[in-house]
Amino acid sequence: MVLNTTILSWVTFIYFGSATLYLFRMVTGKEFWGPPASYIALFGLLAQSVGLVLRWIESYKMGIGHAPLSNLYESLIFFSWTIVLLYLIIEWRIKSRNLGAFVMPFAFIAMAYASFSPNVTSRIQPLIPALQSNWLITHVITCFFGYAAFAIACGLALMYLIKGLGRAEGSSAFFKLLPNRDILDELSYHSVVIGFIFLTLGIITGSVWAYSAWGSYWSWDPKETWSLITWLIYAAMLHSRLIRGWKGKRMAIMSIIGFASVLFTYFGVNLLPGLHSYF
Amino acid sequence: MIKTIIAFLSSLKLTIALLIIIAAASVLGTVIPQQYGAVESFRTLSPELRDLFDSLQLFDLYHSIWFIILMSLLSANLIACSLKRFPGSWKLFKKIPSLDTDKPFQNLPPERIVTVEGKPHGIIGKLEPLLLKRYKRVRKRDTERGAVFYGEKGAYSRFGVYITHASVLVVIAGAIVGSLLGFDAYVNLPDGESTNAVRLIRQNGIKQLGFTVRCDRFSISYYDNGMPKEYRSQLSFLKDNTVIFQGPLLVNHPITIDGIRFYQASYGSIPGDEVYLTIRKGDGETVSRTARAEDPFSLNDKDARVEVVRIEENFMSMGPAVLLEITSPGGSTSFWVFKYIEKIMDRFPGILEKVPKFNPGLFRPYLFGLDRIESRYYTGLQISRDPGVYTVAAGSFFVILGFFITFFSAHRRLWIRVDEQGENSRISISATSNKDPVGLRREVEHLMKHISSLRE
Repeated sequence: MVLNTTILSWVTFIYFGSATLYLFRMVTGKEFWGPPASYIALFGLLAQSVGLVLRWIESYKMGIGHAPLSNLYESLIFFSWTIVLLYLIIEWRIKSRNLGAFVMPFAFIAMAYASFSPNVTSRIQPLIPALQSNWLITHVITCFFGYAAFAIACGLALMYLIKGLGRAEGSSAFFKLLPNRDILDELSYHSVVIGFIFLTLGIITGSVWAYSAWGSYWSWDPKETWSLITWLIYAAMLHSRLIRGWKGKRMAIMSIIGFASVLFTYFGVNLLPGLHSYF
Repeated sequence: MIKTIIAFLSSLKLTIALLIIIAAASVLGTVIPQQYGAVESFRTLSPELRDLFDSLQLFDLYHSIWFIILMSLLSANLIACSLKRFPGSWKLFKKIPSLDTDKPFQNLPPERIVTVEGKPHGIIGKLEPLLLKRYKRVRKRDTERGAVFYGEKGAYSRFGVYITHASVLVVIAGAIVGSLLGFDAYVNLPDGESTNAVRLIRQNGIKQLGFTVRCDRFSISYYDNGMPKEYRSQLSFLKDNTVIFQGPLLVNHPITIDGIRFYQASYGSIPGDEVYLTIRKGDGETVSRTARAEDPFSLNDKDARVEVVRIEENFMSMGPAVLLEITSPGGSTSFWVFKYIEKIMDRFPGILEKVPKFNPGLFRPYLFGLDRIESRYYTGLQISRDPGVYTVAAGSFFVILGFFITFFSAHRRLWIRVDEQGENSRISISATSNKDPVGLRREVEHLMKHISSLRE
């Protein structure tokens, strides 16, 4: 195996370790497990960054140099990278590790899928003509930051719903450690806003690219259409909150539906015929 | 009546309902194959279902009348909502609230009140520049025992939502302009051929370009692993037989001529006009030679001329074949020469007797064979004109600008009252914001810290 894929498959285990520690912390209610979970996640992020840079360099050595954002394997790696990056920024900003148990598993699953699924090739492939564009990097980065923010919002929504279950029991450490519902709701809203802006930027950069590659900025290709569907779901969610003041459970459920749509935009669309089929 | 219509059009319920219905319709469009894909599914669907889908325009859903009606309703809803809400926002933007000494400070929590050393006079002198530096439209009114201040920031945030919504309408307008005044067309051009007319995709017609495009050469290059690296069409554009532009057309690098954009969309191969024949005379040696269509050659020792009349890549599902016509003093014969003649004879025993025209030895004593037909690339060009694209681009830019104003700015308004309290001053702060209560709290706390440290 090539060095970069070796590093990246090790990162899978590092994220698994970190996610487990975050869960441990939640279940036992002991902060003791918190700092190692964070540092391991940070170490994983650094190792993953090194892996990505090595992969980038490797592709240039092969004479087919391009940013490591060009196939399913690379996009999954980048997806998990953005999730961990955004999560660690949030952890640092709000000075709380409670979200970790709900977000790190997403990063781990994405890495595990990339590294161990037989359907995902980790080989560095050259760019087919349609992908040879300066818009590749901008488009992929904006889309995946959007996806990652929505993943975090979904994690927060799950926490919100679980917190609701725990009110009767009250005493368990797990439920006590969950932040209060207003904070979860507020954080979830902010994540959705960030995700929505990035998704919009992703759609716009994609349109600009399509305008130079396919002859039309919008051609109702299934992936385009599903990104619009996702956009419409989150737009409905933001409107009901900003104007109607909808909060709490309804927002949490919409956030989960929205993320399901994100996942379909990302993976499900490959089942449908279309121009994006190389992703 | 009109009131109910307006109330309906400007309701948030309609907005949410439309967003969800449009999303659901779009899902349907990704499940049912659209346009070209529809041809394939036509065969697999039952006739009843096919008729139903067809009458609901589900095979071209995104251009169907009902989808257009949904989009129009959404636009009407956007306009109605904005018109309904704008006057209120404008008022909040314009109007400076009266400097009431009591109202804003009713029910103020104790942490919003601080006492600082010194008489109000001196404190006010320090407070005023502080507020002027941080807030806009600062107003002050002196009272018997001190003063009341008003200040605000981010009033423009009231307009973010209108910028976003107006920009979405601009995007929709641009898309309409594009679909009404623009066109999408395609043409397949073999090497060396040219055209001044292209086939329209949606309207099913022919579009005159007003100039001529010629494909000089199409080529593909591959990576070492066999993946395609580059599709390249060397194109020439001519007006009145003079070349106005020449250049390579690559994927991702369209060429624009007179506002019409050319894209490298596809490619394919067609039989060329050169064929490779084998000829054997009696028991003699087999000789190979090339022949071109409409370019007769003569058989060496006989006064006979051979002409390739037709070239077929797959004649009657029996593979490549050419029709030869041989003219000699004895008259003329024509017959087909198949590439896979032996396989054909195996499958259809006695075929040469039944169909003499398929006999490659019909002109005795010669036996003809077909080695291969030279194939020729054609380039598949997509040709588009979209006069709405810059409107859409400008709209998209302002959508993002509107987002930033809507989500990251807030109209924060602040009232501060300074009262004399013995030798000290009591300062009360009241604040409101149209959004982001967390940010407002942080800002007020920050301001309180500054104020607490004020000394006369």
